[in-house]
Amino acid sequence: MLSTIGKPAAAIALAIVLISLVLLALGASPVGVLIALSQGAFGNWIAFTDSLVKATPLIFTGLSISVAFSAALWNIGADGQLVIGAVAVGAVGPFLDAWPRPLALAIVLLAGALGGALWSGICGYLRARRNTNEVISTIMLNFVAAQILSWTVHGPLMEASRAYPESMPIAPSAEMYMFAPPTRLNLGMILALLLAVAIYFFLFRSAPGFQLRAMGKNRRAANFFRIPIASLTIWTMALSGALAGLGGAVQISAINHRLYERISPGWGFEAIAVALVARLNPLAIVVAAIFFGALDNGSQAMQRAEGVSPVLVQVIQAMVILILLAFDTSAWGNIRDAFARARVAPASTEAADA
Amino acid sequence: MLEAKSITRRFGRTLALDSVDFFARAGEIHALLGENGAGKTTLMNVFTGAIRPDAGSVTLDRAPLALGSPEAALRAGIAAVHQSPMLFERFSWEKNLALGGFGSDRTAFARLDLDAVTSKAHDLARHLGFELPPPGAIIAERSVAERVRLEVLRALSFDPRVLILDEPTGVLAPNELNAFLDLLRRLRGEGRSVILVTHKLAEARAVADRITVLRNGRFVATTTPVESDESALARLMIGELAPPPEAQLHPVETSATLLEINNLSSRNDGVTILDGISLRLNTGEIAGVAGVDGNGQAELVEILAGARVATTGSFQVSGDSAAIAVIPQDRDLDGLILDMQLWENLMLAAPIRARMTHRGWLDVPRATGLCREVLATFRIRASGPDALASSLSGGNRQRLEVARALTQHPRVIVAHNVTRGLDLAATAEVHRLLLEFATNGGAVLLISSDLDELLAMATRLYVISRGKIRAAEAQDRSPEKLGLLMAGRWSE
Repeated sequence: MLSTIGKPAAAIALAIVLISLVLLALGASPVGVLIALSQGAFGNWIAFTDSLVKATPLIFTGLSISVAFSAALWNIGADGQLVIGAVAVGAVGPFLDAWPRPLALAIVLLAGALGGALWSGICGYLRARRNTNEVISTIMLNFVAAQILSWTVHGPLMEASRAYPESMPIAPSAEMYMFAPPTRLNLGMILALLLAVAIYFFLFRSAPGFQLRAMGKNRRAANFFRIPIASLTIWTMALSGALAGLGGAVQISAINHRLYERISPGWGFEAIAVALVARLNPLAIVVAAIFFGALDNGSQAMQRAEGVSPVLVQVIQAMVILILLAFDTSAWGNIRDAFARARVAPASTEAADA
Repeated sequence: MLEAKSITRRFGRTLALDSVDFFARAGEIHALLGENGAGKTTLMNVFTGAIRPDAGSVTLDRAPLALGSPEAALRAGIAAVHQSPMLFERFSWEKNLALGGFGSDRTAFARLDLDAVTSKAHDLARHLGFELPPPGAIIAERSVAERVRLEVLRALSFDPRVLILDEPTGVLAPNELNAFLDLLRRLRGEGRSVILVTHKLAEARAVADRITVLRNGRFVATTTPVESDESALARLMIGELAPPPEAQLHPVETSATLLEINNLSSRNDGVTILDGISLRLNTGEIAGVAGVDGNGQAELVEILAGARVATTGSFQVSGDSAAIAVIPQDRDLDGLILDMQLWENLMLAAPIRARMTHRGWLDVPRATGLCREVLATFRIRASGPDALASSLSGGNRQRLEVARALTQHPRVIVAHNVTRGLDLAATAEVHRLLLEFATNGGAVLLISSDLDELLAMATRLYVISRGKIRAAEAQDRSPEKLGLLMAGRWSE
């Protein structure tokens, strides 16, 4: 348990040291930059809540990755699935005026989940029935999803004046409950947290979750013990896509209220890093997503205060991931082994009887 | 020739090798004998450079060997055949051989001359009496026995002075075995030193000039087949003799049929793998199926497990499909999920999972409780239900598989090469459990390529060859007769 928290913390600390060296080389003040970064991320109530808002889609997509990767299904298409979820909401959202708000919101979330599930389900189906590599199919469908989004905001869903490449706004009843204006805290975030807990219990405490993980750890053994690989592949991919699609739905319903040409700055890809840093653990994904969201949020303040490019934040993220990997499994085990050997080497032979 | 002095190697808290000395002469077959975990494979890995020892030195013809470097070992003339074949599954056998000595005379980045490799391979194979797979065959599609042969071929392609073989005979048929032992003698005649890593006493005595015994990572003795008979060697290996299994089953002719296989056939891409398999298994019986690996046994086991669909034919288990428990031969690939915990591995079996599941949710405390019980009952050495399966030794992994099969409360157990790679004590334990199961009214289908095991355990014998099965008569119950049947010579 300690290692699941201790290692990421150590990695982040090491990343800060290394990033300071980079900043010094660039002639900037590491302390100033880090203060600006943390001020921008957590410095006041608005900044803090905005970090959480930025973390929300990363939680949804991170969970999406966690589910798929746990089954050894390499879903690289969470971004496209999120986009299709958003498009589904953009399509039904404007027509929900007459519906009571709880019902309208339920429809919005359902539309997003179904959209995402359908999009990833295609890849799941192809993998299960035609043995099509899901890495390729999910990546490809990202591009298709982006084009569909572009087409809808220029075409069928374009706003009434036909002047801007954006969709009609969704009905007010389809807008997410906001908790504390002017902050953008909303119900979608609570939903993300609840889902993280639910997915945790699904993966580690439910029979289908067990089968899913067994398939991910050893497909051959799972098949040998009559775990239905094909249908499980389709359902896992669909669930993964549904989670990403929900992320898109919450983003439109709570923040954007309409579709633009570019909705996602790449959440579906950043989510891979989030999920891997969290070692696919749904609860740790919440923490990792908030960390990455805060970095995103703080980077603008950093740029304003210190004149450092926000690209630097991506460098920090990359360093954290690389250092975590370096701290991972075998390398870490070898270091521990070496220490253990060094300690017991002088005492000679009695261990052999154990 | 090959001399090791005071080799010590520690893995974590385990002392795998404790100041071990070893000396093999040129032109001798030297058996390295020991139980699982005695340190045989570790010592071999030190010789091949796969492992760097913590202390000690190795010399080859008095020249010190750079330790921990596979390349240095190979250049010095040490080649090895590993217990689990180390071949590239997706490559053809020619490409695999090209990665051996046949392809190594080319300069870097030069085009690989596969034809030359193939013709050299054919020359060597003919010299050795091997049969090679059809041109371009992919390793993944070949049998275990063929893979071992290919690995022997690849090792010899380096023209080594020292050839180390790690448990190579487990997958060979009796008639292949004799040819194989002849091959070892021929290599010895060429002045090479052949080191045979094994836990089989009879084999070590039959072919080796000298035998070095390891126990618990320590050197016990170097002796000769003349000086030490089997029981003396067994005492050196395990300290005390395990009691022989009491194969005293009395099957009742009128007893109920538990498993009935009717005309089962399986074809894959037009190749017939199983051809009209029929057999019947009664309560209280252990029926043995003898055969060389790769004659359809694995597919039969998969069909009985429900992991593969037969092309034609069917099988019935008395009760329902949950009444059959299958122990696959490849415990690390099919039988267990190594990076899952022990209790999770128990839950892989559907009947156990059903018992430990309530409305779709796992009852984790109960499952770990059951696992703790199983670990105690079957004396599986593990730190607890939360341990990863990969932390178990080979013998304990196999015990876990047998324990899981028994915990399913099946009527029928299908066990495939269930004691392969196990030491004497663990083998006796597994045999005892299966006998007990059959005595208490169960039935066991024991599919094995180990004739000694089958002759000791089975009340009735079948022989499988090229996908066809046939009952062996009472007069066929000898290794020689069975060997002929296994080779497909069925005409009287």
